[in-house]
Amino acid sequence: MRLLLSAELLKLVKQSKTYYALGAILVIELLILITAYFQGSTILDLLLDNLKQSFYFEGTLLNGNLIMYIVLNALWFNVPLILMIVTSGIVTDEYKDGTMQTVMLQAVKKWKFILAKYIIAVLFTILVISFMMATTFMLAYSIFGSGDLVVYLNTLNFFESADAFHRICWAFASGAVSMVFYCVVSLTLAIFIKEAAKTWIAAALFLIINTLLLKVDFVIPAINSFFFPKLIDTWQQLFYYEIDWMQILINNALLLLYTLAFAAAGTFVFHKKDIG
Amino acid sequence: MLEGNNLSKSYSSGKALNNVSIHISPGQICGLLGRNGAGKTTLFKILCGLVKPDAGQVLVHSKRPKPVGGIIERPGLYNYLNAYDNLKIFAGIQGAPADKLSIEQILTKVGLPLDRKDPVRNFSLGMKQRLGIAIALINDPECLVLDEPFSGLDPIGVTSLIALIQNLAENENIAILLSSHMMAEISKCCHFLYVIEKGEIVNAGITNELINQHITYFSITAANLSGSPVLKPYSVEMGTNDAKVRCNAADVPALLGALLAEGVAVTACTPVLTLEELIKKAI
Repeated sequence: MRLLLSAELLKLVKQSKTYYALGAILVIELLILITAYFQGSTILDLLLDNLKQSFYFEGTLLNGNLIMYIVLNALWFNVPLILMIVTSGIVTDEYKDGTMQTVMLQAVKKWKFILAKYIIAVLFTILVISFMMATTFMLAYSIFGSGDLVVYLNTLNFFESADAFHRICWAFASGAVSMVFYCVVSLTLAIFIKEAAKTWIAAALFLIINTLLLKVDFVIPAINSFFFPKLIDTWQQLFYYEIDWMQILINNALLLLYTLAFAAAGTFVFHKKDIG
Repeated sequence: MLEGNNLSKSYSSGKALNNVSIHISPGQICGLLGRNGAGKTTLFKILCGLVKPDAGQVLVHSKRPKPVGGIIERPGLYNYLNAYDNLKIFAGIQGAPADKLSIEQILTKVGLPLDRKDPVRNFSLGMKQRLGIAIALINDPECLVLDEPFSGLDPIGVTSLIALIQNLAENENIAILLSSHMMAEISKCCHFLYVIEKGEIVNAGITNELINQHITYFSITAANLSGSPVLKPYSVEMGTNDAKVRCNAADVPALLGALLAEGVAVTACTPVLTLEELIKKAI
């Protein structure tokens, strides 16, 4: 397995699409920063004009913490879409280039090969989220500095600077679990579909349906609590005034179980399927 | 030794293989001739273990970690990597020696330069075929399966690849099965031939015997052939510089003698055998 992992790592490092993915994340961040720099204050003043007359806010509200929170919201659609496209390519590219066949003609166990791909995809996802967090932190704090965070979740929640930073860090960690779920799903879709373009469409559809189902009331409480579309926004719970740590832990553990189930299904199908 | 017994495979589009049996001994080069869509690639995929047959079994008498190596349809390579890195990856994933010396030995064995550091997407098709064979040879397989290895190669590339295949069979005692729809190329290097048509083996035999049994035309190259009275009793198709004469192989010496006696300067006499001939006769 170690040899398979190092081979997968070498492929990932040598492929240009890896750097395109990191570049795309940077572009999203830069666009948010530029927009915030030129228009952020005006929008915030309009939104909070009344509140500012009654409350005192430490520092400016357009600060590094707010920028990090806005970037964090890219976890809804932009980042998972990029991740799903890149990670599904780990499998579809092998089919397209005929290397899947070449690999399967070697003394390699099918389940070990595909498991190595899942592991590398998960590591890549964690790397991307860490990269996203580190670059946002550096850029946002160096340009806008720190300050209190205002977040609208049903109601306006205010967090002091240190508390806000703490919550954002945990939100990135919880968000990473959601992203890992999406990337494992995209790899499983790639195993089923094999073709890149069709997998991208299926992955985007999965993402959209998942986001829509998040808002649907399934009436049955168990489904509303434990169905995977209801778990992908757990990172948002870090911005409620009172954090329910137990709920966050359960949700992330459940999402990891779903992730394992998708990976197991993909591995099983790949092992049973003919190549070519 | 590689053996496939009573192999059958069906897809939704129809039956791809029907009760096919094939046998390749160590050091033997076997050719599988067939038109496009005859079932060659399906048979190769089954022999390599990529596809499971509906019926029949594949027997490989080997205790090596990789009994069969091969290229199916085209060499699948990581085009963004150079030849060295490709070999390093394929050797690494199966625990075969992936050090510099071992990889350079494989590159040398297949006649690839050691100084090419650019990605293999820049390689010619012939070089890609060689690299594909190099990858297939990692971990010392006892059998090599090459699907359409001459496809897209120029004549020099074909000659050089034939030399490599012959060298592997003779010096490394590898059992080699290769497929093609090109009669000339496959008859040059194979000891034994199988002919496949519509998923069934319709003809098989030692290459020379099979060719001799089925040759009915000879191409004779000479000047002023069109007016030759010697050719009158034969069925002849006149070409620009040659005549395609229908006759038995046993009659050729007498025919050539008569032409020379008539004063026709014959410069070449080549047997003409087409794939259609082999299929038609067998059916």
